[in-house]
Amino acid sequence: MPTDNKRVRRPEVSQSPSVFACRPAAVLPAAGPRADGRRRDQVDVRPVFVRCGLVSQAKGSAYIEAGNSKLMCCVYGPRETDRKDETDMKCGRLITDMRFAPFSCPERGSWIQGSEEKDLSLMLQESLRPAVCLHRYPRSQVEVNVMVLENSGSVLSHAITCASLALADAGIEMYDLVLGCSIRQDGASYMVDPTYLEENGCSSGSEDNQGRLTVAFLPSLNQISGLQSDGEMAEETLTAGVRTCIEGCYKLYPVIQQALAKATRKAAPPPSES
Amino acid sequence: MATVQVSEAEKVYILHGIRDDLRVDGRSCEDYRHMEIETDVVSNTDGSAKVTLGHTVVLVGIKAEIGKPRPMVPDEGYLEFFVDCSANATPEFEGRGGEELGTELSNTLYKVFNNKRSLDMKSLCISPGEHCWLLYVDVLLLQCDGNLYDAISIAVKAALFNTKIPRVHISADDEGGKEIELSDDPYDCVRINVENVPCIVTLCKVGHRHVVDATLQEKACSVASLIISVTHKGTVTCVRKVGGGSLDPESIFEMTEAGKRVGKALHAPLMKLLQQEESLGKKRQKVGFLG
Repeated sequence: MPTDNKRVRRPEVSQSPSVFACRPAAVLPAAGPRADGRRRDQVDVRPVFVRCGLVSQAKGSAYIEAGNSKLMCCVYGPRETDRKDETDMKCGRLITDMRFAPFSCPERGSWIQGSEEKDLSLMLQESLRPAVCLHRYPRSQVEVNVMVLENSGSVLSHAITCASLALADAGIEMYDLVLGCSIRQDGASYMVDPTYLEENGCSSGSEDNQGRLTVAFLPSLNQISGLQSDGEMAEETLTAGVRTCIEGCYKLYPVIQQALAKATRKAAPPPSES
Repeated sequence: MATVQVSEAEKVYILHGIRDDLRVDGRSCEDYRHMEIETDVVSNTDGSAKVTLGHTVVLVGIKAEIGKPRPMVPDEGYLEFFVDCSANATPEFEGRGGEELGTELSNTLYKVFNNKRSLDMKSLCISPGEHCWLLYVDVLLLQCDGNLYDAISIAVKAALFNTKIPRVHISADDEGGKEIELSDDPYDCVRINVENVPCIVTLCKVGHRHVVDATLQEKACSVASLIISVTHKGTVTCVRKVGGGSLDPESIFEMTEAGKRVGKALHAPLMKLLQQEESLGKKRQKVGFLG
């Protein structure tokens, strides 16, 4: 582990007080409504709040809030590549960086990018790349930075949505928007857009079909640009889960479109009638 | 990753061949290349395996160490994965070049094992909250010729099968503290149940079809691939799309189904082979690295 001498150092080992709590680890109720009143087995995504163009320095930016999950994304570029040896004459490069604020999760994280964040950055890059017309930006790079301000579950899916919105806001040419949706499979039932507790809590029911699934979807091209799952699921459950996620993406689509249209209208107001 | 340059004419040739279920090396779309597995190749490890798949060579060594369990799961041991892309495989991996691919591969391995069934983590616990076994699974890529995921997952399974964890006894000392005693007999060891350890199947979408165990040339013709890790029962523990392209939902469903079929069929011969090799014991002819 590389150490960072420039910041105030914490003790070598410290633990969150939650480890010493007497109550057992969170257990998901096997049936009935979810903690926030949404229903199980329904494509019930959390209502989202989205805005474009918050960061004035960035070429494009977006902010998304779904329940308590809050993320912001900035897009810089296209500009000359940093690493000359990797300059591609035909195709631009998409660089993604996803980070959690140290205070974003119940347990404090470190400032240095961990392997989980690197993995999420890679997933984000693979999900966005099919949608961006990188061949229009030869010898240049486009940077996408996502910061998770508060992690209340489904961060990857919201990061994908937020990043595609910021790319569109930056005026980067794209084939389509990319929308993300995730589900938590719990036995025979599923929960769309799970919260942090639902994502990480252990199940009270059977041990079969416990898993998490995230899908990135291009709605007008009907293509899946990103897919990731873990846990253990039967193949049929997985297929059904992918279909559910696609449905969830379609629910988000009008909201995202509206936000984008609003931002565009604000940036370039239509000429007045008179 | 190691890449090859494929001309347009070559691409068309490969594409048309795959359309007719005949690949450049004579395989059909769901066939693997010739595979060789050898376990117990490095004597300093607790378990090791070498897998050769076509020209891809992967070496896995497992070291067991005693550590402290994670605070959230005090009664379980855990695995640590590290994938090293050595510059032997391709010059591109020199210096920090292989780091990105290494993290990607090891993160995928964590995901594959991120469930309660793959390995019985409770069996790695020595005394809850104080001591547990942690297994360092170190993967070394010696040669790269496509399909790293599959080769690595098979090598990890073989190495876990081969792993012998020394037996330890906990005894209380005079002041009530616990002491760990390692068994003196080197043959007195615990084995790991690898029945539920999944294998990864990578499906490369080439044209309108998908192929299993793609070579580098075939990979150059494909825009996206899907990796699926399948257990012997046919349950899926991890799915992931890799590569820069997108896939339509129908082809994803077809690919998961094919992945499940291929992955399920992979386990029985693998376990048979491992048990056979084990039963030979000292009589086994060692092949080593130049075989």
